[in-house]
Amino acid sequence: MLPNSIQWYFPTKVKEAAKLIHKDGIILHGGGTKILEPQPRSSVKGLVDISALGLNYIKVTGNIVHIGSGATFADVVAWSRDKKRLTVLSDSLSHAASTPLRNRITIGGSIKDFPMWSNLYAPLLALDAKIDIIGERSGIFSLEEYATSPLIKSKHLVREIRVVEKHDIRSGVKIFHVVRFEYPIFTIAAACTMDKNIVRDARIFVTGVKKKLVRLVTAEKVFRGHSISDELINSAANQVSLTFVPDYKFGAAYKEKVAKVYFKDLLREIKESIR
Amino acid sequence: MKISFTINSRKRDLELQPNETLLNVLRKNGLTEVKSGCEEGECGACLVLLDGKPVNSCQVLAMSVRSKKITTVKGIGTLHSPHIIQKAFAQGGADQCGFCSPGMVLAAYSLLQKNPNPTREEIAEGLDGNLCRCTGYVKIVEAVHEAASKLRNEKSQAE
Repeated sequence: MLPNSIQWYFPTKVKEAAKLIHKDGIILHGGGTKILEPQPRSSVKGLVDISALGLNYIKVTGNIVHIGSGATFADVVAWSRDKKRLTVLSDSLSHAASTPLRNRITIGGSIKDFPMWSNLYAPLLALDAKIDIIGERSGIFSLEEYATSPLIKSKHLVREIRVVEKHDIRSGVKIFHVVRFEYPIFTIAAACTMDKNIVRDARIFVTGVKKKLVRLVTAEKVFRGHSISDELINSAANQVSLTFVPDYKFGAAYKEKVAKVYFKDLLREIKESIR
Repeated sequence: MKISFTINSRKRDLELQPNETLLNVLRKNGLTEVKSGCEEGECGACLVLLDGKPVNSCQVLAMSVRSKKITTVKGIGTLHSPHIIQKAFAQGGADQCGFCSPGMVLAAYSLLQKNPNPTREEIAEGLDGNLCRCTGYVKIVEAVHEAASKLRNEKSQAE
C-alpha cells in the first residue's frame, strides 16, 4: 500500500524523469500495475509519471523496430497483428494477463521489473533485442546483458527496445499456462537465422526457470550449420537441462518434462515454417 | 485535494488522496455503477474505459489519468435509454446477478468499436478480463454477437 503522502511528478522530458529517480524513495510510474501489487510500499515517497514523455510509440527506421517504453502490451499486439511484423511478440503478449491489464502494462515497466511470469523477455531475447536506458548507466545494451548483469538493478529509465527485423529469421514462442489468463509458468522462444534451409544461427531462451532465464546454448549448437530435422530436434531436447522451482501446482521435474515437449513442438513449428 | 476529471463527457471535480485508485475515487464520489470486486485486476467488475480502452480501475492510480476521458457504463446507456449492447444482455439473459454486467458491457462496447463483426474467439479475447460466476458465458457471448449484428444493421441503415 502506498502512503497517502506520496508526491506525484509529471515531467515532460526524459532527462528530467531520469534525474528525479536518483532521489531516495522516488520510483517510476508507467501503467502502475506493479506499484499496486499488494506489498509494503511505505518507503515510496514519490511517483514519476512517464506518460507525458512521449515514449508510447512503436516506429520503424530502416530495418529496426523501436518500441518506446511507454507502449503497452496491447499497443504492441495491435501493431504486430496489423502490420504482420514481429508476430512472435503478438503471439506471446496476447496471452499475457487480460485485455484491460494489457492496456496498462507497459513494455518499460515489464522489462525493468522482469517478473518471474514474464512472457515478454523470451521472445525479445531470442530476437537479440537491444535496450536503450538512461540513468546511473546510460546507453544501448543487449537485452541479454541487461537482464543478466547488475544493470537491471541500477536506477534508470528504459527509453526503448530495439529489434532488428531480418527476413531470414524464423521465430516462435510457446507458453505453458494452465488457463489462458493465468500467469505463464514458463515461456520458450526461439529464433533461427536461416541460409536457405540451413540454420546459420539460433537463439533459444527459456524464462520462468529458477534463474529466471536461461539460454539453451548446447541446443543452439546442435542446430547451427544443419537443416532442422526431427532427429536433430530430439537430440537437442535430450541435451536440454532446466531447473525449475516447484510450486503448489507442479513439481520441478514435471515442469522440465513439459518444457522439453514444448521445446520439441516449437522447433517442429519452426521446421514446418521453413518448408 | 480536488482534481478535475472528464467522466462520461462531463467535467467533474473529485475529492481524492494521491495514493488512491481510480475505483475508490469513482465510488466514493457517487459513481457506484463501477463495481468493486477482487481489487487485484482479475475480475473486471470495476472496468471503465480510459480514452476508449478498457482498464481495471482498481489497477489504476487516479492521479495518473487526470487528463484522460473516463467512461463508465452510464456513459454509454442508461436504464431509460439503454445501449443496444445493454438491451441484448437483458433480452438474451446474459445477466443474472448483474454484478459483472457493467464491466462486461463496457468490454463488449470497446471490442465492437474496434471490431464490428467479431468471431467467437475474438469475443472471448475481448472479454478475457471479465469473470462471471452465474451465466457460464454462453449467453454473454451470444448477446455480444446479437448486439454486433444489430449495430451493423443500424449502421448500414443510417448510411
